[in-house]
Amino acid sequence: MQPDSSVSCAPGLMAAPSVAGSTLLTAQVHAKLSERLFVAAVWLAAALVAASFLWIVADIAFHGFAKLSWSFLTEAPRSSGRKGGISTILVSTLLILAVTVAVAVPLGVGVAVWLSEFSRRSSRTARVINIALDVLAGIPSIVFGLFGNAFFCVFLGLGFSIVSGGLTLACMALPILIRATESGLSAVPHDWRQGAAALGLSKAAALWHVLLPAAAPAITAGLLLGIGRAVAETAALVFTSGYVDRMPESLMDSGRSLAVHIYDLSMNVSGGDQAAYASALVLIGLLIVINAVAIQLSNRFMKSRIQPA
Amino acid sequence: MVIQNLRLPFLDSCVALLAACAVLLSAPDASAQEKQDKKLTITGASTAAPLVAEIAKRFESANPGVRVDVQTGGSSRGVNDARSGVSDIGMVSRALSKEEKDLKSFLIANDGMSVILHKTNPVQALTREQVIDIYTGKISNWKEVGGKDQKITVVNKAEGRSTLELFLAFFKLNNRDIKAQVVVGDNQQGVKTVAGNPGAIGYVSIGTAEFEVENGQPLKLLPLGGIAATTANVRNGSFPLARPINIVTKNEPLGLVKKFVDFAQSTAVTDLVKEQYFVPPAR
Repeated sequence: MQPDSSVSCAPGLMAAPSVAGSTLLTAQVHAKLSERLFVAAVWLAAALVAASFLWIVADIAFHGFAKLSWSFLTEAPRSSGRKGGISTILVSTLLILAVTVAVAVPLGVGVAVWLSEFSRRSSRTARVINIALDVLAGIPSIVFGLFGNAFFCVFLGLGFSIVSGGLTLACMALPILIRATESGLSAVPHDWRQGAAALGLSKAAALWHVLLPAAAPAITAGLLLGIGRAVAETAALVFTSGYVDRMPESLMDSGRSLAVHIYDLSMNVSGGDQAAYASALVLIGLLIVINAVAIQLSNRFMKSRIQPA
Repeated sequence: MVIQNLRLPFLDSCVALLAACAVLLSAPDASAQEKQDKKLTITGASTAAPLVAEIAKRFESANPGVRVDVQTGGSSRGVNDARSGVSDIGMVSRALSKEEKDLKSFLIANDGMSVILHKTNPVQALTREQVIDIYTGKISNWKEVGGKDQKITVVNKAEGRSTLELFLAFFKLNNRDIKAQVVVGDNQQGVKTVAGNPGAIGYVSIGTAEFEVENGQPLKLLPLGGIAATTANVRNGSFPLARPINIVTKNEPLGLVKKFVDFAQSTAVTDLVKEQYFVPPAR
């Protein structure tokens, strides 16, 4: 850039190309300006996203921190959640999540493996499954809630229960998980599959020792997105895992999740706002912990199979 | 060939897994029948759910071994579930309509609401039209309704609050048309906002308002249609801006259902009703 501009401004070239020179100059000024604008816009976008996240967390922390204490985590709610804590709700939430993960991970990884390793993209079944996944991913959560209620609670006779809620959330998390796993698997270089075949590894062994570990970060990312969507869910859970805030005795008991609790406190319980904020703070904390643990686990799984060169 | 070999076991194991799940999950269903006389399911209005859930907890501790599950989903759902037998008892946060009179309904609480002003505001009463005009922004100064020359601060409830629904339904307003200066979340916030602003108008649950006035908050409860906004008038049904909180059953209640209905209507739960800012009915 620098030498160019000195040439165009050199006095020896003033006569004929002066017009061309000045347009070149303005073009360069423009280029510089638009470059700066572009950089500024990108920074601004990043700053805005970071700021809105910080704002949300700061607002929730500001309103909820006073209420948050060890006893808030270990006591059962009293007076519709205005007093007491959220111990029973935390337990229900974790149980629902456990059911979701236990169902979604094997099914999701299975479907993704089938899509990426055992089917051709253009085959009819793969196309149907892909369309089904795209549609599933776009379905509003209240529809999952009503479906879950009609299918799991009523048709399968599971009633309002943690199992019903977990299965409904698994349906919601599946498309995200499958997509992420599939893209992770297809990002594994084809040489690795040939290498595994050349070493005489069966397809299952190649998957277990090479392909899945290599795709582990992608699977984790998908799982976390799915869990994030699931744990924030109210509409799908009000009609499936339900509203009961007693300590669940089995997976067949109804149990209120954190998000349902927060919704109820902020909408139906006068004077429940502070407890709602504190519960929201716990929910965010829980998500951060789950994220950290999942990333740790996936790194360990990957490193135990694939030694870095 | 390799593909075929691997695909089939996978599908097989899927089917086996599903079958195992079905067996596992349907197993507890058999014993559920025996527990039936020890378990109540209550569904319906989300406004009533926190109160009924608290009543249920007290009922459980008074009757060891009994379990009462409360689920939400709205008044219509409460009616439908009670009628179809999905639930033993439904919760309905309004009076039953003509088509719903086949159900037995039992009043457990009243939800009344009062328009509140600052104590120093000389306005003693507002007509229905005046309240509507103030909330839609057509009247923006107190002198237009006989008060001081002072700007009106309109305090509205946040979307989704049951008091907002009651208010909108009573004044036949649409929330989009309301021009509010302050939007508050709960009763306490509404009380604080009006108490701290001499030009404000708001509305809160009557139980809260009365309690706060007794405790020295500078508030004034406006009468509606000439009827004073008091819990007594809500209880006797004369105050217009109120609604009943009912529980409904399909048939004349028997056994455990009857026990619960009686309990929910007894004085043993009066403190719980008040705690939810509802007005206990006359016993």
